[in-house]
Amino acid sequence: MTSHTSRYDHSTTQSSGFNLDASIDYVARWLPIQGPIKDFVHHNILHAFQHLRFHEALSVAGKLFGARSYLPMDDYQMLYRQGRIKDFALDWALNQTGCNAEQQQALRAILFLQDKHSHYPPISLANHGLRNAWLTHLEIDLNAMVHPIIFRLLSSFLDQGISRWILPKNGERFWDSVLRLAQNSLLPLYPFNEPAVAGLLNDSPDEIISSCLQKIVGAETHYQQYLLEILLAHPGWSGMVRVIEQNPQSLLVKRLISIKELLAVELLCELAIVSKRKPGGFPAIAELPSLQGIPLLNEKLLQPNVPLKFRVWHDAMEWSLYSELLVAMKNPSQDEGERQTGVGQSPIAQALFCIDDRECSIRRNLEEVNPGIETFGAAGFFGIDFFYKGLDDAYPVAQCPVVITPKHLVLESLDESQEEKKSGMLEFSKMHYTAHSMFRGWLYTQTLGLGYAFRMAWDVFRPTAKLPGVRTLSEVSDAHTHLHLLRENDEPNADGHLLGFSLSEMADRIGGLLRNIGLTENFSPLVMVVAHGSSSVNNPHFAAYDCGACSGKPGAPNARAFAWMANHDGVRAILRERGIDIPAATRFVSAMHNTSRDEMSYFDEHELLEPPVRELQVFKQSMEIALERNARERCRWFELAPQSESGKDAHQHVKSRSSSIFEPRPEYDHSNNLYCVVGRRAITRSLFMDRRSFLHSYDAATDPGGEILAKIMSAIFPVCGGINLQYMFSRLDNSVYGSGTKLPHNVIGLLGVANGVEGDLRTGLTQQMIEVHEPARLLIVIEQAPEIIDMTLSRLGELRDWAENEWVRMVACLPDSREMFLYSVKGWEKIEFPADLQAPAAEQSENIFPGRDKTIPVHRLSGRHQ
Amino acid sequence: MNQLLLACQILPLTALLSIMLSDGSEKKITRISYWFSHAMGISIFALLALWALSGFPRHEYHWFTLYEQDGFSFPILFYLDKVSAAYLFCVWTIFAVIIKYCRVYLHRETGYKRFFQTIFGFVFGLNLIVLSGDIDLLFAGWEIVGISSFLLIAFYRHRPQPVRNALRAYTIYRFCDVGLLLGAWMSHLLFHDSSHFSTLHALFENQAILQDNYSGIFMLSWLIILAASGKSAQFPFSFWLPRAMEGPTPSSAIFYGALSIHLGVFLLLRTQPIWSSEFLPRLVVFGIGLLTVIVASLSEKTQSNIKGQLAYASIVQVGFMFMELSMGLESLVLLHFMGNAFLRCYQLLVSPSIVTHLLRLEGAVDGDFTIVNAERMHFLPSTIRDTLPEVLQNTLYVFALQEGNLERLVKTLLWDPLKRLGAKVKVQGYIQNPWLLGGIAVLLLFALSGFDFAKGVLAFLVSVAMVLASLSAFAQKHSPVKVWNTVALSSFLAGIAVWLMSSAYWTDIMLFLSGIIPAWLLGWWVLEKMLEHENFVASPFVFRAMAETRPRLALLLFLSFLGLVGFPITPAFLGEDLLLTHASDQHPWFALPITITFVMNGVAAARVFLRLCMGRPTEISYVDESK
Repeated sequence: MTSHTSRYDHSTTQSSGFNLDASIDYVARWLPIQGPIKDFVHHNILHAFQHLRFHEALSVAGKLFGARSYLPMDDYQMLYRQGRIKDFALDWALNQTGCNAEQQQALRAILFLQDKHSHYPPISLANHGLRNAWLTHLEIDLNAMVHPIIFRLLSSFLDQGISRWILPKNGERFWDSVLRLAQNSLLPLYPFNEPAVAGLLNDSPDEIISSCLQKIVGAETHYQQYLLEILLAHPGWSGMVRVIEQNPQSLLVKRLISIKELLAVELLCELAIVSKRKPGGFPAIAELPSLQGIPLLNEKLLQPNVPLKFRVWHDAMEWSLYSELLVAMKNPSQDEGERQTGVGQSPIAQALFCIDDRECSIRRNLEEVNPGIETFGAAGFFGIDFFYKGLDDAYPVAQCPVVITPKHLVLESLDESQEEKKSGMLEFSKMHYTAHSMFRGWLYTQTLGLGYAFRMAWDVFRPTAKLPGVRTLSEVSDAHTHLHLLRENDEPNADGHLLGFSLSEMADRIGGLLRNIGLTENFSPLVMVVAHGSSSVNNPHFAAYDCGACSGKPGAPNARAFAWMANHDGVRAILRERGIDIPAATRFVSAMHNTSRDEMSYFDEHELLEPPVRELQVFKQSMEIALERNARERCRWFELAPQSESGKDAHQHVKSRSSSIFEPRPEYDHSNNLYCVVGRRAITRSLFMDRRSFLHSYDAATDPGGEILAKIMSAIFPVCGGINLQYMFSRLDNSVYGSGTKLPHNVIGLLGVANGVEGDLRTGLTQQMIEVHEPARLLIVIEQAPEIIDMTLSRLGELRDWAENEWVRMVACLPDSREMFLYSVKGWEKIEFPADLQAPAAEQSENIFPGRDKTIPVHRLSGRHQ
Repeated sequence: MNQLLLACQILPLTALLSIMLSDGSEKKITRISYWFSHAMGISIFALLALWALSGFPRHEYHWFTLYEQDGFSFPILFYLDKVSAAYLFCVWTIFAVIIKYCRVYLHRETGYKRFFQTIFGFVFGLNLIVLSGDIDLLFAGWEIVGISSFLLIAFYRHRPQPVRNALRAYTIYRFCDVGLLLGAWMSHLLFHDSSHFSTLHALFENQAILQDNYSGIFMLSWLIILAASGKSAQFPFSFWLPRAMEGPTPSSAIFYGALSIHLGVFLLLRTQPIWSSEFLPRLVVFGIGLLTVIVASLSEKTQSNIKGQLAYASIVQVGFMFMELSMGLESLVLLHFMGNAFLRCYQLLVSPSIVTHLLRLEGAVDGDFTIVNAERMHFLPSTIRDTLPEVLQNTLYVFALQEGNLERLVKTLLWDPLKRLGAKVKVQGYIQNPWLLGGIAVLLLFALSGFDFAKGVLAFLVSVAMVLASLSAFAQKHSPVKVWNTVALSSFLAGIAVWLMSSAYWTDIMLFLSGIIPAWLLGWWVLEKMLEHENFVASPFVFRAMAETRPRLALLLFLSFLGLVGFPITPAFLGEDLLLTHASDQHPWFALPITITFVMNGVAAARVFLRLCMGRPTEISYVDESK
């Protein structure tokens, strides 16, 4: 997404002259990189620190942003008392510190002291910097005066369709727009008319920044820090400007803006207001009586100092949680029965699901209902990357992980047999979306307003009844459309995209994915391709609930494309040449799992020449039961849900959740993510993993050189790792890294949400998404030999940071012996757990979860052999 | 019917108290609030049905008289007519929906209890206003609504911005309350005991009263209009409304979308005979409505956030209601009010879905929103672009973007001069000035020996001192204790001034002070306690989050704040009214200083409370450097 360099260069911090451009590049790396809200791309919130080791990065980030880096001490101690942090894990974590035995002993002792304050944020640049000291000295609440003005200009300039009057003219830059309003209007644009700044307006932004800085800061050594502090006073907007500056494509309606312009406007504003408030002049920062105790942007600030006791607790918590999975996976003998079903005879149906942790439970439930169904996991774009423009879409969207830039465009169109049914008018029931202020509004409120009493009462008291708009809001495409997939000519369109794929490009993608997941033989008559999406109403963050591998979009188009391509005779012929022989009797059918409603929609059945009726019927019936069980399993997290035996009640409840206008938690999304298993389903098939695991299918035997694994990992690190870290940091400090509670959020310009009408944009995840999350790093278990994983890592370039700096933890699990090794830069370390550590067992899933409202350790399911 | 009228008041109050006393578990609060909201529904509908059956009468119910003394009485009086009926219906319908909505919406939110408490307080205030039989009781309800509004805006007290905006709304409320406070006094002055709403119509049919009190009624109209425009965010106060959208969405919906914003309209409907008797006030109401419609509909055009846009759309409609009112279209206004209330409430509730709506739905059809249509996506609409010269286009845009500059207008006209003046006042300095003290002593001697003239002069000086004290409290930033004591001082001075005017009122003064003194002392003690370990001067502008770190003290401070500013929980509320009435009967000029003090004291004390109690508890900790 962003292309800034990830290594620091300290050249700009030296006082040998101030270079504005270099300074901006230097400080802007720390801004959030969350783009406009229409695409919610999960990412590492501390992306700028990824070159540092995990704990060190937390410490430095804390000192910059003023954020908490760990849970409160009480929470860790509580987990210890509850047995979720185990003694062996504590010993392991102490060992990891590199302290000697004596120091470890001392450290262990202070872990259990009561400590209510250490987790508070440290003194930070954002909260206690130069600017703050200066403003306290001047006794001016400058943020309260400047921010509303700046935010208003920014949001009017960048607005994507909420306001009725637009600020910029065609192709006008932000600076020029502001200048136009300030200089060519009969009414003054406050505060740019103040005498202190009016004379400056004709200068260029560069000159303005340097003359303002000179008056405000006074000493060049502090310029860079002051700029950073201005930007960090409203990280949301600064980050948005930076994202748009670097990637104008992220907006639908392009806008030209840069951090430099923002800084020029803001500095002018600051200077104007401070001069007005202090008519007799004011001291610059360099002239303040004492700068002692104020953190400065220098080597020392960027030097990590990791609080050891928190590090130990955190590592111990993670290790305990990891052990729950690793111990359960350890014993290969119990899985032998499993392998029989996979290899011996061909299953009734095979189903490809997304890697998503929410699909972890639906796969288990489906297999429990019908052991004849074999499931696979793959990144939910199914290896097909393209821009997609659906019938109802205003613009094309990328249907692939954010690291890929697609070259193809796929359009959805109506079948010829279908009449064009779109009316030219907005549906009447949607009239309230236009705020229509004056005469039309007067008329409407007089006549229709009362009707909204009933509408409102209906929505609030009968949410289960299908809301008008649920169908339109859901992502299920119309059954009578088809995707325009096969390319007719090689002429790219105006945006440089190719319309559709050629047959060999299709074969590349289908073959690639089938090889990735190790499905190259033993095809069953029916292969389901199940994408997922999530429907919710009244939820500006809807994109965060959809498929992460499709950049926050429902994966339906990808599933449909995959099925269409894999059914195509031409594609199959090419695949056959390449060694993948799909039997003629095998049909691919696409479907989508709605993760909030636990419903399935099946696509394009009418297009199949010989529908495999029996298998599809069986699959659908099994799926129905599985969905109900899944709904019941999810309901254990919802305090207000019926905790009954009946799957029907639960199913009804999750459906009404997704269509209630007053439900801030349509689902808990990725709240439980913790594990990621890359390997054959056989090693996880008999495990109850409580919806905690990303699952990617991978057959170690087919990949002696680690190339396939490299492809898989290049999606897993950014997508799954990104999801995990975004949840983790949003949970650790919800007000700095996260976006706080969503209840007061206000949608700003279709760019994001803010608190109230003049707040900063909020980045990260909302309180309602992370409240039940256990903040631990992702554990990736790869069923492959360490040497081969090493080969894979060497192919991954910068992505290696994820593993080397321990932003995710990686374990290699030998395919046969199930011996396990933990990765670190120093090498692979064999994992040993105490002999008496055993995974709990249960007959089947439904014996495990009823009545439990916390995360559940991994169980072995003994009833899975039949 | 009378019992039902009482039930409408008592039920929400009981609900408020029982939630306050409950242990804060969500389930219990829900049960209490459902129960009371149903009970309220039943009594309101029974009331309305009974009322309808008896032929839509103008029903008045005198419960009892709270206070009565030579010529002044404070009756508890309820009144039901078609205006109250319409409002009552809306209040309950929207309230019941919001309660149900919030049950799930606020699930697991910190402050669940606080929210339901406040919203019951709000509905209590509303019912009081809607059913009040005279302007005194209406004022009590008005204050309750004001304070609960203030609390809900600052609901997310961790962030400075909601707290700031709460203060902003409160300041406007407080300023406009002057209208009602003085209005109550003037209506006593003009109509004596017949200031009941039920008798207004009859009163004004008698032309004689108009001729006798022409200027008085004119003043009264002005005051009422001021109070109504403040509460309804009309010109020139429109700017506070969008900024008040800081609480959870449903609270914004019920307050600023649906109910609170229409209270100004209610006040005007109630007092229609008074202000519509003359042409000029009607013209003023019409003018305010028209100006509001113009400014707000322009401002709405450039709102790039959804809640701000809805707020301005709502203000525009209220502006229309003002215009309709001035033309005497009472029934149309009622219909319009109900329509606007329900529509805006719903719009705000579903405002988060604007993203899905615009991106996923409207792209396909030829609606208002067309990202595809590049023509619409730059600068002003083409009709304006093609007709106006460039400079006027920019002017229009700047006007809309800055929301008609109303905020800065109000700030420069009202607050800045007061602040500047206040900053110059040094109370200590005056007290130590020997000439001043000597002069006062001499005057005092004269006064005691019975010179009425000296008394008058002295009273004047004391009231000047009272205003100065208030101003200095208003401008003081560095010491909350000083602010607190100066506020109390100015209240004492008010008492002394009245005593000097006529010592016969000493019982009323005692009544007033019996509310003020305990509140002052309690507050002082709390402040000392709160600040004993704080170095306030080192960082005077930090929010100190005592509401979380020391919740009991914060609650006490809140209560004493309410007491000190004459909120209707202590006798001071009544006393304030009495002082004003008595003193101003003899010296009408006294109304001015005492109301200025009233506004300033309220704002100054509120600031102390916010500074100390709101904010996010952060304890700066140093990461252990050695490890």
